[in-house]
Amino acid sequence: MRHRVPFPFALLRFWGARILPIWAFIGLVIFLMQIAVCAIVHDNASVKTFLNFLDVLPSFIKTALGGEMLQAGNVPGLILIGYQHPLVLFLYLLFAVGVPTTLLTGEVQNGTMELILSRCATKTQVYVCAGVLTMAGMFALVLVMFLGTVAATRLYDFGQPIPLDLFFRIAVNGGLVAGAAGSIALLAAGVLAGRNRAVAVTVAVLVLDYFAWIVAQWWPRLGFLKPATLFYYSRSIKLATGWPLGDMGVLLLVILAGCLIGGVVWQRRDLPL
Amino acid sequence: MATLEVRSLTKWYGPVCGIEGVSFALERGEIFGYLGPNGAGKTTTLRCIMGLIRPGGGEVLALGEPVVSGRATQHERIGYLPGEFRLWPAFPARRSLRVLASLGRGDRAQPRRRQLAERLELNLDRPVGELSKGNRQKAAVIYAFQHQPELLILDEPTGGLDPLVRQTVLDLIREAAHQGATVLLSSHDLSEVAAVCGRAAILRAGRLVEMGPVSKIVQRGERRLKVWFVDGALAPPVPLGQLPGVRVIEQQPGLLHLAYQGACEAVLRWVAQFPVDRIATPETSLQEAFIEYYKTPAGDTGSTPKGDP
Repeated sequence: MRHRVPFPFALLRFWGARILPIWAFIGLVIFLMQIAVCAIVHDNASVKTFLNFLDVLPSFIKTALGGEMLQAGNVPGLILIGYQHPLVLFLYLLFAVGVPTTLLTGEVQNGTMELILSRCATKTQVYVCAGVLTMAGMFALVLVMFLGTVAATRLYDFGQPIPLDLFFRIAVNGGLVAGAAGSIALLAAGVLAGRNRAVAVTVAVLVLDYFAWIVAQWWPRLGFLKPATLFYYSRSIKLATGWPLGDMGVLLLVILAGCLIGGVVWQRRDLPL
Repeated sequence: MATLEVRSLTKWYGPVCGIEGVSFALERGEIFGYLGPNGAGKTTTLRCIMGLIRPGGGEVLALGEPVVSGRATQHERIGYLPGEFRLWPAFPARRSLRVLASLGRGDRAQPRRRQLAERLELNLDRPVGELSKGNRQKAAVIYAFQHQPELLILDEPTGGLDPLVRQTVLDLIREAAHQGATVLLSSHDLSEVAAVCGRAAILRAGRLVEMGPVSKIVQRGERRLKVWFVDGALAPPVPLGQLPGVRVIEQQPGLLHLAYQGACEAVLRWVAQFPVDRIATPETSLQEAFIEYYKTPAGDTGSTPKGDP
């Protein structure tokens, strides 16, 4: 008679406690970053100086920070700089790549995965633990980002109402983009042997994806690349009018496909214990 | 019903043979030695039994249930000690052991863990990274024994331990078996296997070449004969051509030390022609028997062991 193996909540708690400090640090920086951006944006004189400065720089930099939405008077567009800032994106990337590779390939490489799997925990359950922590962590970071915006609207007077519902939609959609990035990392961690290889492949894929998105916006002849990038599915124009269900569906599919393929390969392959 | 049954287990790593056609069965309360040099396939066998790697063929039944790779089959009732035991270095041993014990139906191993730590004289509150090799091995022993398993899979459990602690670990193994646990003990230390195991198997290049009671394995190797001749008589030259399977270990004036295989009748008949003072038959150790198995070319014995099925 085959009995069910209970879910290893102890492992989930243990891993959760291990990644909590780095999550808290990244969350704090992202939170403060939103407040800092809002602090700059609420002052019209600073904004005009900043936009004039952006116009002097190569145009792709303005594209990377929000493109044509960056105009004096368009406060929501300016606040969005904090959501697309390279530092913020780097921190997301750090978490998305670091967590699954540390929890899966890292434990294999350190020899502790052999101990975990020799106890009451199936390979699939271990993979699910890493997946849950990656996805939950990424979504929580996006919510922290939104909370930063909410806090900033209480701290500063922008002279016009700030549509927090828009920022909430952007945050939820951004959570799906972040989750998709996490699922790519999870896939790499499930498929590849060795933490360095998994990190290198994930970073390469995500950086390429990011630059493809920037270049495709900036250079119309490469516009056909846009739908192949993750950031394409977090279009502010669509988000401004309501929930972009089609884009969210694509992102959900990417998340599901990444997690599922990674999980199946992880379950079937012999780990290099 | 056997507690652990391994049937025609095979595992290839690409073109390299890990193990092939390995079969054995362990009864409740038995301590079974699993011998072989580095790379013979001992760890591969143990990992297949634990479902940590997927065998290419054959099957394993642990505690009556077929082992499926990655499914943690009966792991709550199995204690496993890997050959290289590595815990999270930044955490105290107690925390890591508690987390691992908690996987499943909660940590019910706390009293036993404390008891084992006291017996092995290990401070569990120190970070694992600060523990010496021997102390880390003690933590490994606690890890394997803490949940009082019914089946123990031990890969060189006494490696890096001093003789006193080693004795304690062997006592723990005996006690576990006495209480009904079944133990599969993979080891390089033949004296340890001889001391605690009733039966043993010898693995060479992934194939079982011998299996049976330790006493029989010892007998199947070379036997020794020491002959002292009466005062003044020189040891005669040995006619090796007429005595097949005999070799000279040592020859001094008045003393002849021989090794032989099979029956000793021919050797004794030859020795009786000379003025013999006394004869001794030194006991062959498991180590000598083990070395004998590794002297023979690999192709001489197939995957079918000579001993008990």
